[in-house]
Amino acid sequence: MIFSILEHILTHISFSVVSIVLTIYVLTLLVNLDEIIGFFDSSDKGIVITFFGITGLLFTRWIYSGHFPLSNLYESLIFLSWAFSIIHMVSYFNKKQKNHLNAITAPSTIFIQGFATSGLLNKMPQPAILVPALQSQWLMMHVSMMILGYGALLCGSLLSIALLVITFRKVGLTFWKNNITKNNLLNELFSFDVLYYINDKNSILLQQNINFRFSRNYYRYQLIEQLDYWSFRIISLGFIFLTVGILSGAVWANETWGSYWNWDPKETWAFITWTIFAIYLHIKTNRNVRGINSAIVASIGFLLIWICYFGVNLLGIGLHSYGSFTSN
Amino acid sequence: MIVTLNPRILYFSKFHPQSPLSRPSTYLCRTRNVSLITNCKLQNPRDGKTISNKSSGGGSITKTISLSDSAPPVAEETGGEISGDGVVKGGGNGGGGGDGGLGFLKRLPRKVLSVLSNLPLAITEMFTIAALMALGTVIEQGETPDFYFQKYPEDNPVLGFFTWRWIFTLGLDHMYSAPIFLGMLVLLAASLMACTYTTQIPLVKVARRWSFMKSDEAIKKQDFADTLQRASIQDLGVILMGDGYEVFMKGPSLYAFKGLAGRFAPIGVHIAMLLIMLGGTLSATGSFRGSVTVPQGLNFVMGDVLGPVGFLSVPTDAFNTEVHVNRFTMDYYDSGEVSQFHSDLSLRDLNGKEVLRKTISVNDPLRYGGVTIYQTDWSFSALQVTKDGEGPFNLAMAPIKINGDKKLYGTFLPVGDTNAPNVKGISMLARDLQSIVVYDLEGKFAGIRRPNSKLPIEIDGMKIVIEDAIGSTGLELKTDPGVPIVYAGFGALMLTTCISYLSHSQIWALQNGTTLVVGGRTNRAKNEFPDDMNRLLDQVPELIKKTSVASELS
Repeated sequence: MIFSILEHILTHISFSVVSIVLTIYVLTLLVNLDEIIGFFDSSDKGIVITFFGITGLLFTRWIYSGHFPLSNLYESLIFLSWAFSIIHMVSYFNKKQKNHLNAITAPSTIFIQGFATSGLLNKMPQPAILVPALQSQWLMMHVSMMILGYGALLCGSLLSIALLVITFRKVGLTFWKNNITKNNLLNELFSFDVLYYINDKNSILLQQNINFRFSRNYYRYQLIEQLDYWSFRIISLGFIFLTVGILSGAVWANETWGSYWNWDPKETWAFITWTIFAIYLHIKTNRNVRGINSAIVASIGFLLIWICYFGVNLLGIGLHSYGSFTSN
Repeated sequence: MIVTLNPRILYFSKFHPQSPLSRPSTYLCRTRNVSLITNCKLQNPRDGKTISNKSSGGGSITKTISLSDSAPPVAEETGGEISGDGVVKGGGNGGGGGDGGLGFLKRLPRKVLSVLSNLPLAITEMFTIAALMALGTVIEQGETPDFYFQKYPEDNPVLGFFTWRWIFTLGLDHMYSAPIFLGMLVLLAASLMACTYTTQIPLVKVARRWSFMKSDEAIKKQDFADTLQRASIQDLGVILMGDGYEVFMKGPSLYAFKGLAGRFAPIGVHIAMLLIMLGGTLSATGSFRGSVTVPQGLNFVMGDVLGPVGFLSVPTDAFNTEVHVNRFTMDYYDSGEVSQFHSDLSLRDLNGKEVLRKTISVNDPLRYGGVTIYQTDWSFSALQVTKDGEGPFNLAMAPIKINGDKKLYGTFLPVGDTNAPNVKGISMLARDLQSIVVYDLEGKFAGIRRPNSKLPIEIDGMKIVIEDAIGSTGLELKTDPGVPIVYAGFGALMLTTCISYLSHSQIWALQNGTTLVVGGRTNRAKNEFPDDMNRLLDQVPELIKKTSVASELS
């Protein structure tokens, strides 16, 4: 009883804190930045609180269910939002590098949390008993690695989607739309004084006497480069987790199901996801290909992760039917 | 042949995904650092046009584009005439055997190699494999032909064109063993090998050849470059060493690198993938499989159960081993759900001597002489019942098909005249070995008894005692010679994927009087690199006099 109350409290704390954080983010978008800059700083602390809330929640479940809390969809969703908050914290403590991850991770955390705790999955929050096949130490390794991989890959592919949105958004219509090729050329020419530009955007504006629209495009180019780089780094990291997750799953399957690969739908989709991100990484090895191509591949990967993570469970087919909506 | 070139020169024209085969054959498979390196192995003569392409960095390169695969005319002499930063390696691959057929045959492997190591081709292969796998999860696998006739009828095709004819022509009903899928995998394996051979290994050779830079300009052209006044190259070397760099110094020049493994690791990834594919092939061709349901107390011979999967399957001595199921038990949660199955197995050799005894469960298989025995399933074999002290009778339990996964078994104990046209009796149903539901002659619920409880149940004056419930264990047996290779591949893949995350950073420095010019670049963590470099350079002490070096490090 005490555990379920504790769990309840922790769920609510983490959910409400992350809602506040998201509200602050929205406010900073709408209201002038300077007025609530203090709030903005505190939002990162909010995520840290959320992180500890979810960690406590997971530990509580671990203690009172007696097994690693990753046996059904609800628990894996909570774990996924935990993974998002970890990624957020890593980028928060690594402050030197300004990246745009926190704009991705905070909403992701709240969406996942909200979905997990919403009425949609009414039956799920009860910790399920472990079926015989799940009673193994591999559960911890395999599932946690997979979910961490999903989390990192989702972040990376969301950054890529942001890249696509920014690239194709219709701002500065005449110049941008009509002179795409010319524009790119100009952008490449200016890529040498990138750092200089970041340091003093306004002075450059004055000194070089570029018109505003042009500088805007230039700033956008900067942003695209940053997004491209960070999505590459995070997808590389997620790819490692995914690889380790799939392989540990294969070893586990060889202990339990009699073969390391069974062409089970979930396995197959995980492999498809792996292949797509392998393609992404290979495209990235070629410098001449612009970020847009790899970003398209990454956004395909985004869809595939959801098919793999949710779609297969939704149908409840194959050997991985533990976390399905239809079971119980 | 390897050429070092100015890093800023971008060699290859823009990406043309629509025409992968008509592109310059010098296109590399892994071009992570291609701005530095090109591979002239691929510059073999082809029939067709020869385009000469001058690059502005002082290197001139001859590219050959293949336009047709028709009968080859006499080979042209296009030995690579390349000079980039003064490094020339001789030995063009052209020339070959002069006359037609033989020359073509000689050049064919190289041609195939260059086509296979083409990156867009590899990407296309991966996309195709992913798409085929996705299709394999959408189309039901391994059903009877009738199923596909009904699901994909000819008069009402799915998506307007997809009928069962497609499925049977392409073998989509068994996608993962269909020729089209396996063919793609073989092609991908070939690409992996070609890419490793033609692109990755030459990259390593270049990366290993550490070189000093002799001029300020070359150093300043690097991605990161800085000039330190009043600094000594020795101090920089010490600081770089402290940060984990391998440092080489010669006179006023310094070269340092870190994370070379990160550059080698992609080769390891490819080799690991090939290992896994090899192991998978061995598994598919050389294994035995079989499953058996054995009631408690009975035995079977391994060789009778195991059936060969592929043409390379060779039985071993262990196949003569007899397996005896001593006991089959199930564990339950408090809620009544099954928590675990256990089978106590004894293995006996031809002489009847016990060689191994182990209690297996799900997740804990038994391994003996290359054969693995898994606990996969269970079934209800029989019910031991005594009626009014007579017996015990063994009543065979029959599985009753109901909707859903849950199992249900039932049996029937006839009462009275068994030769009568409509025999009456007692029905007993069970979901598991725990409790038996008993129904009387009219089919009304009579009670629930646990086996071994010795508690009789009275039906129409008869005392029925359920003595025991005998389960059968569902075992799966297999031999798989591919597993060691696949596991080796798994281990290598995990390790090399992790190492691939490391950046290979290179730093050059040149002492010019009291001025120190430092430049460097890295291949992955490009955004962090300038910060790391600035942090290191901040530690370099300032020289107070020309000869003495300040000893304290900030």
